[in-house]
Amino acid sequence: ALLSIQSKAQQDHINIQSILKGNIVDSASQVPLEGALINIEGTTNQTFTDNKGQFLIKTGQKLPYKVRVELVGYTTKHLEIYDTSTTITLQQKVDSSNDVVVIGYGTQKRKNLLGAQSTFDAKNIEEKPISRVEQALIGQLPGVQVRQQSGMPGAGLSILVRGSGSLSAGTEPLYVIDGFPLDVVSQGTNGSISNSPLNNLSPNDIESIQVLKDAAAGAIYGSRAANGVVLITTKRGKSGKAQISFNSNTGISSVAKKLDVLSPEDWIKQASAIADSNWVNSAPGRSASQTEAERIAILGTLNTSLVKDDRWAEPGHPGIQLVDWQNAIYRKALFQNYSLSASGGNDNVHYFIAGNYLNQDGTVIETNYKSYSLRANVEANVSKKLKIGINLAPSFSLNNAPPLEGKDNVLMHAAQYTPVVEDSAGLFTNAYSNDGYAWGSVKLINPYAYLKTSTNLNKITRNIASFYTEYTILPGLVARSTINYDGINRTLKTYVSDQVVVGALSARSSQPGYYSSGGYSGATIQNLVNENTINYNKSFNGGHAISFIAGESYNKVHAETFGLSTLGGYANDIVQTLNNAIVSASGETFSGSTTESNSVLISYYGRAQYSFNSKYLFSASIRKDGSSRFGSNNKWGTFPSLSFGWRISDENFFKNNIHFINDLKFRASWGKAGNNSIGNYNNVETYTSDPYSFGGNSSTAAPGMVVSGIANPNLKWETSNTYDLGFDLTAFSHRVNLTFDVYRKNSKDLLMNLPVLAASGFSTSLQNIGSMQTQGLEIGLNTITIKSGKFTWNTNANIAFNGNKVTSLGPNQDRIEISSAYSGSNAPYLLQVGKPIFSFLVTKMDGILTQQDIDNKVATTSKETVGDPKYYDANGDGKITADDRIIAGHPNPNYTWGLTNTFQYGEWDLSVQAYGQQGGKILSYLGRAIDFPGSTTANYLAVWKDAWSTSNPNYNAPRGKLNSSASVPYVTSNWLYSSDFWRIQNVTLGYSFRKLISTGVLKQARAYVALQNIFTKDHYDGGVNPEAQNTNNSGNSSYPLPGDYGAAPLSKTITLGFNLTF
Amino acid sequence: CSKQLDQTPVSSTTTGNFYSNANDFKQAVTGAYAQLNNFPEQALWLGEMRSDNINAVSDGNRDWDGINNFSTSIGSTTFISDAWQDNFNGIYNVNSVLEALDEKGSILTNTSLKTRYYGELYFLRAFYYFQLVKEFGQVPIVTTPVTVSEITQIPRSEVSDVYNLIVSDLKQAINILPATYDAADIGRATLGAANALAGQVYLTKSGPTYDINGPGINANQYDSASYYFDQVINSGTYSLQNNYTDIFSYTNENNSEVIFDVQAKSGTNGSAFPSYLVPVAYWVSLGISNSYGNGYGTSVFNITNNLKTSYEPSGTVQDIRDTFNINYTYKVSTFFKKYININYKGSNGKDWPINFIVLRYADILLMKAESILNGGTGSTAEALGYVNQIRARAGLSALTSLTISSLLEERRREFAGEGLRWNDLIREGQAVTTINSWIASDGLSSQISNATNNSILYPIPTAQISTSNGLYTQNPGY
Repeated sequence: ALLSIQSKAQQDHINIQSILKGNIVDSASQVPLEGALINIEGTTNQTFTDNKGQFLIKTGQKLPYKVRVELVGYTTKHLEIYDTSTTITLQQKVDSSNDVVVIGYGTQKRKNLLGAQSTFDAKNIEEKPISRVEQALIGQLPGVQVRQQSGMPGAGLSILVRGSGSLSAGTEPLYVIDGFPLDVVSQGTNGSISNSPLNNLSPNDIESIQVLKDAAAGAIYGSRAANGVVLITTKRGKSGKAQISFNSNTGISSVAKKLDVLSPEDWIKQASAIADSNWVNSAPGRSASQTEAERIAILGTLNTSLVKDDRWAEPGHPGIQLVDWQNAIYRKALFQNYSLSASGGNDNVHYFIAGNYLNQDGTVIETNYKSYSLRANVEANVSKKLKIGINLAPSFSLNNAPPLEGKDNVLMHAAQYTPVVEDSAGLFTNAYSNDGYAWGSVKLINPYAYLKTSTNLNKITRNIASFYTEYTILPGLVARSTINYDGINRTLKTYVSDQVVVGALSARSSQPGYYSSGGYSGATIQNLVNENTINYNKSFNGGHAISFIAGESYNKVHAETFGLSTLGGYANDIVQTLNNAIVSASGETFSGSTTESNSVLISYYGRAQYSFNSKYLFSASIRKDGSSRFGSNNKWGTFPSLSFGWRISDENFFKNNIHFINDLKFRASWGKAGNNSIGNYNNVETYTSDPYSFGGNSSTAAPGMVVSGIANPNLKWETSNTYDLGFDLTAFSHRVNLTFDVYRKNSKDLLMNLPVLAASGFSTSLQNIGSMQTQGLEIGLNTITIKSGKFTWNTNANIAFNGNKVTSLGPNQDRIEISSAYSGSNAPYLLQVGKPIFSFLVTKMDGILTQQDIDNKVATTSKETVGDPKYYDANGDGKITADDRIIAGHPNPNYTWGLTNTFQYGEWDLSVQAYGQQGGKILSYLGRAIDFPGSTTANYLAVWKDAWSTSNPNYNAPRGKLNSSASVPYVTSNWLYSSDFWRIQNVTLGYSFRKLISTGVLKQARAYVALQNIFTKDHYDGGVNPEAQNTNNSGNSSYPLPGDYGAAPLSKTITLGFNLTF
Repeated sequence: CSKQLDQTPVSSTTTGNFYSNANDFKQAVTGAYAQLNNFPEQALWLGEMRSDNINAVSDGNRDWDGINNFSTSIGSTTFISDAWQDNFNGIYNVNSVLEALDEKGSILTNTSLKTRYYGELYFLRAFYYFQLVKEFGQVPIVTTPVTVSEITQIPRSEVSDVYNLIVSDLKQAINILPATYDAADIGRATLGAANALAGQVYLTKSGPTYDINGPGINANQYDSASYYFDQVINSGTYSLQNNYTDIFSYTNENNSEVIFDVQAKSGTNGSAFPSYLVPVAYWVSLGISNSYGNGYGTSVFNITNNLKTSYEPSGTVQDIRDTFNINYTYKVSTFFKKYININYKGSNGKDWPINFIVLRYADILLMKAESILNGGTGSTAEALGYVNQIRARAGLSALTSLTISSLLEERRREFAGEGLRWNDLIREGQAVTTINSWIASDGLSSQISNATNNSILYPIPTAQISTSNGLYTQNPGY
């Protein structure tokens, strides 16, 4: 009661004052807004803000005041205000055509863009539980495919812009941060990106990201632009009061998918049946009812393929435990991200300084990613003409990343490991002093014990620094010089204890440490870029505007690597540094080596732009690049581009007739760009060490030198010509924005390790010989779908179709078959003119063999009987051979799409983001490796639960019968899976504390719950992630074909976060 | 500033700066030997695996399956394409150093060393070409480093021309090479090695043609073969070891019986061959890591009944080579164990410190006997004498008469697991008949196709055929 009396008194007091004062700012930039109308609803009382965004109005009413605020270009707001002073934020209308966006070496009004360029506004990036910048782009931009090839925390992601445009050179785009082109890093042959240019960058520092997709937009970056250019802009300070922002984001992650292998109970059921059938068939007079002891007595030994453990069938399984190894190594993991930033400035200095801390546990035990990063972007206007700025971003990260993924690593073992252990050993079966389970495969390493024991610590220290000066010579004429340095130091410490990897207990206990292994390795990469540009902008009377830029740049990358590893073992498990290493039997302790390399790129470039009333737009650019990577005959290349635009909506005939369209611009462009991601020194013939030894019994190593390969002095970059047609449309009072592009990209002079006649001494030679074509269609749509009172619904949809084909190969156009591990003479990957790159070439399974098939003498492999798979005899010769392989799909999706819906109701907002892909296939080597049943020692895919048997002759069984002795063709369609998926990538529900804001203490206060990667629908039963890449399945560095051989599942995460801005 | 674009490798030597001193030549000559590291792979997977000594059972689709079961679609098999590539790479390395010796050899002030380098290189080129002609028949002749475009003009040469090059190289080597080396240089090509190889070359080219191109071309040069074998036998440099097992001892390498071997040292160029024909699980049963295995899962490499019974034809006399060569105690399968001594294992299964013996004195003696039986210089008594020396060492009684068949059986027992058997059969015209009767007698006809005359040669690797754009034609039958 006391409270209400006080409150009443206060109200009465205010009622007497009857005024409202405050200021109005832009919701995104916090810039004060001048000329906004403030109206007390239901009255004629109104006023406008002054040039500081401030206002004072007589309300003539009691609290709360009902207020309407309007400003051209901004969304009108209706508010209830509970105080006499307030800060009101206005949100810009979706009509963003006057926005300025970053382009290569400059900026441009969005409405005048001529290239195919996609913009990602990083406004809500800090609300997502992401640890890397790339993750923010997933599913957001048409034609920009961000592939989550690993679920490991901190792992770099691969970005494909408009699909793959190269056969063997890199396919990753060029990243440019605040004008600093970072070193282009290709995917490793196994698909990982170990030196990603985006390592350690805090997503919270990002203001916006532009992706230049076509050659016309990218050509100004010349020999590195063929795979697209990603321009990243970090946050800057703005004039005005200092602003302090704190973001907190904490949550819990768990694995999004587990591999569907047999449950321990199902495994026991099948292993028992297999052992019994083996036993009965092994000799006359043997019956399935014979016990373990009886069988051992007959055999004289425990042969695990003939004998089953009696305890499997006993109720409660006394003495043994059933283990789901995936459950044993997965966990719920904590995600934490905190950032604090301050920004502001006055007419002389602008600053943005930020600190960021991220701590993300992996969903697999013993994995973790920690990152500490700082940023200072400071710019000083030294005089009216001179501006000097500095961007500094030091960072440090720690990543505990054991070798989980890939062939014969932890996750493959977790899928295969025998799901039964002795009680006495438990999860540490076959490790330390525990013997292995008798039915356990000695070839597999206990995944749990391995993770618990081994060390794999990656540390990255990085410093990105840019220093620039800008001098205005005359109005419109500006000279700018920048010096940029990116220094990366990466170290990796590894340790694997023999107590978990040696299969035999006797060896572990008799010589502990003897087979332990470890190492210390790393790399230093220094990238120095100096760029000097001069820029002229002028508008003339009558609507003519011109803009020129000319520049030169010098770029040198120096890389050093080192590696030390043990040849012997370790004295004990306690000390894991190499000073604890012991000598091997042959008297050696370590091996080690260091390497260095340099590359230089020298460039000259220029661009001219002209526009008439923003109606007719023209742009031309040219770049000349000289690269040390190329042969002496081809050091220099030239990369021109041309583009035109026509704003038809500004023509009178259009304006006067079509009113629902606010803006329509047609674009046409052509450009030439290059790809120089082929590694250093391929143009120089080098010698490599090929050691031998002499001396018989007391032999000594003899260093031998041999030529390492045929050098090609004619090497040059790959070139792509891209033709792009598109339009940008704004309609229905700026509520609908549509961007449409069709393109064709002809890539030629593809760098291919072409097979050459081995009689020359070498089997391949790097040559510029192939060509391919990529074409596609992209649609981006932004709409204000519903806007009604307090409720707003925004939709952002995109779809991109992309297809490619090989158009020429080598001098004879011969098809190239690329074999893989275990493909024998049945190579499963194909390059053939007219076909999509790396098409799959496999033997097709065509159902199950019936007795009728056998009677009809259909083609079979050797020893096939009823219930085995029926293979498709493509050439009809009655035999299943390598010639029966058929093309069965390609790896790249036909289309990718993304859909984001954002709903706002008063103080609440909800956003739902989904994306997916369609039309591609995966040749899964994990799927292959764990698709062989009939083992009594290892687990396998759950598809075998539905196996064919004489008692269950199911002719739709996916794989045929268990325990078949028939031979299986090397690569069959059973290991091809669709890579289609759709995924709800993010759901965020937020609440803005407007009342808190209205007190004036806080500029922003928001709480939210975000669900990341909450649901995925895929068809990939042979693995956990249809985008997984972790092993080079071709085993060949000329045509690396990264694929899945056991991947860390992606994480689903629920987080709770706060944004506070003071 | 543009000069900056001419970056030279920091961490590799280049053609531009190599061969600047005597040591560069020494290392380049060593480099020409280094391709020998891959020879045991050819000997065991192509020479032993294809013979009637092994009945391997695959646990899936393994690259050696088609070699073992006489498949006709083995053109992409890595062992076969490796054999082609490795030998030609060795030849390239030889040619590259020969060219450098011609052009820049004046750096070498030690002229006798320079001459010896020539001898070693000629021997190595002959060695690599001899493997190619045995495995593939007609092959391109390349005697200088050539460019990628030049090689497209060089077709497969007649087998006789390839033999001419081999013989000419060996004769040059014989004129130059020393009989022995100082301890530190043991393992280099010697006069004895060149003579022994020359004898083997003549013996091989004298073999029957099987109506295909090589390796036998009915040359009927058994006298020449006998001549070169005599050079070895009469040199006094070599003698038989008293105990069979001592030949393969890890501590008795380059013993008096060894004429030429592939050198090995753990850590630098360790050997993988002791693990090749051994089931992986065997290593685990010994309590050591499966990384000592050949990587072929649960495949086994059984010794054929046919070979087992060859060791004890009467069932009474104990041939000491039997249990030394073959492991009978491992329960899962029998396999060749002669190269295994786990006390000397390196860091993994590719790092054994044991040399691979290519030519040994016992082989020369029996090949001399073989050339005599075929009409080459020498008496039957001499031939019988050699065979009985070998039999005596093995604990067997002396023979009183000798036929090609009984000689081949003796060679089979003596050299089991050494990669000679398949070529022995080819040389004496018995490859097809003997293999097919073994398949029948061991009851393997459901697993193994019959051998045909076309099986004598391996296919030219499929990739080479397609790359050659019609320059090469495939061997018949593939």
